[in-house]
Amino acid sequence: MSDVIFAAENIVKHFGGVRAVEDVSLSIEAGSIQAIIGPNGAGKSTLFNALSGFYPCDSGRVTFKGVDITTAPIHRRIAMGIGRTFQTSSVFPNLSVYDNLLIGLQSAASLAFRFRPINRAQRKTIEEKAERLLDFVNLRSSARRPVAELAHGSQRLCEIAMSLSTDPVLVMLDEPMAGLAHAETERVLEVIRKLHGELGLTVLFVEHNMRVVLSLAQRIMVLDRGKTLAEGTPAEISANEAVRDAYIGKEVVEHV
Amino acid sequence: MRMSNRAGLIAALALLILLLFMPQIAPHIGLAVSVCTEVLLYAIAAMAVNLLIGYTGVLPFGNAAFFGLGAYGAGLTIQYFHVGFIASIVLGTIAALVGAVLIGPFLLRRRGIYFALLMIAFGQVFYFIAYRFTDITGGEDGMNFARPAVEGLGLVLKDQQFYYAMLLVFALVMIGFLFLVRSPFGRTLLAIKENETRARYLGLNTDRFIFVALLISAIMEGLAGACYGLSIMFAYPLMLDWHNSGNIVLMTILGGSGTIFGPFIGAIIFVIGQEILSTHWIWWQIPLGALFVACVLGFPKGILGTILDAVERRRGGFAYEARDTVHGTVYSEREIQP
Repeated sequence: MSDVIFAAENIVKHFGGVRAVEDVSLSIEAGSIQAIIGPNGAGKSTLFNALSGFYPCDSGRVTFKGVDITTAPIHRRIAMGIGRTFQTSSVFPNLSVYDNLLIGLQSAASLAFRFRPINRAQRKTIEEKAERLLDFVNLRSSARRPVAELAHGSQRLCEIAMSLSTDPVLVMLDEPMAGLAHAETERVLEVIRKLHGELGLTVLFVEHNMRVVLSLAQRIMVLDRGKTLAEGTPAEISANEAVRDAYIGKEVVEHV
Repeated sequence: MRMSNRAGLIAALALLILLLFMPQIAPHIGLAVSVCTEVLLYAIAAMAVNLLIGYTGVLPFGNAAFFGLGAYGAGLTIQYFHVGFIASIVLGTIAALVGAVLIGPFLLRRRGIYFALLMIAFGQVFYFIAYRFTDITGGEDGMNFARPAVEGLGLVLKDQQFYYAMLLVFALVMIGFLFLVRSPFGRTLLAIKENETRARYLGLNTDRFIFVALLISAIMEGLAGACYGLSIMFAYPLMLDWHNSGNIVLMTILGGSGTIFGPFIGAIIFVIGQEILSTHWIWWQIPLGALFVACVLGFPKGILGTILDAVERRRGGFAYEARDTVHGTVYSEREIQP
């Protein structure tokens, strides 16, 4: 068993009277790929946002590499090695794909807060990294186009590349397949596989598409009404009666 | 050099030549030199606003506080400490900077319309201070002061000399602004304008960037205000008022926020329009307001933004934001081979 890189203990997040997340814990081993699933309104996105610092947690503790980051500001989390994407691709729509990547690379190289132009050597390093990222997500041919002009799938890939620009060890993907056509799903799936396989990153993702979840995840956590319903390997989750009743549905399991 | 850069350079040189001969041209078109000076100074103020609206994505609806602080800073130090010309400008600018340092941390807690409203409120605080402390500021009547001599020269700048001094200030601010928005810092501001959440998730402490942008904007606007105070040798509470803030925002949006020369065009139309129309017609603000409404409804990118868009479309390029950032980015010189 390898080390736990990211852990959350007893996370609680309420919105007024709505108990969106109620006492949820999870831990992720370094280099693993883990999914969070659950029916609509189960609290997946809320949990995800609480874990990534988008919302403050009402109570609970989040640690990354053994450091308590429960109240750490977002930029500190990114500097420590976490990257994330959003359900609706969060990019700089009017900037080119290339410039979208440069903003992140510039930030990671601590060059963003700078009033003088960067020097030739720094520029070269950044350009090489940008081109490597473009190749990784296969967007080289669209590099010059504003992201807003690209198809959904390419925007999602651009966002994934952006989240890689800060050199993370843990990547959090919030419904990476949301709103994508079938062919696009394949492209994104391929890239997520490479994140884990080629780059050796730890991946935590929320997803609705069961085919994607069962083909990618090593461990799955099922949320229902803000609480953990089950946790285990894909085989265990598929066989779990409570999960079947609450969420997956017979035909999906049979289909798989 | 790229086409858009070359066109921009030619336009800038043509503008500079025009501005150099403006004191000679002005009398022939019925303008006083002091009006030309006013255009330059309001253009600096509008550029300060543009840095926030067009390049950072926050709405500085109380920006005139910095303008007025600059003017009062210059006026008060001349009146009570008898400082020289340059010192009064520097001290006025510092007054605006101090104002921004004081209110900035509060403003940063809000975004969007709440930022705008909070900034109006803070601006009005400065207005009421100037209005109430009659013994020091002259209250509602404002305060007169004499334009001091330039240090080391022993010379009080008059009409044309003053215009050229302000043209020098304007040119320096313009060059500084160009470098600023093309620096890594400026590019990061644009990213924050585009999507602040994403910027945070790229490890950027966006509050810090917006705070520094606010300080730079306040310095520019304080400089404009101090020079304006010296230009009319007068400081009055309405300089700090939100009406004045609104006028400066109007110039910025009319000319084209997010473009380098847009605010300058807006300042020309507003100041000269006001100068000409107000002498003939007491309702002069109505056509100006109508122009503004037409601009916001029909040409949200302002006059220059709309023109640049049309030029780009004919050349089959990107929308102008993208053109501005993609072609302007320091790294993008090298072509990427598909």
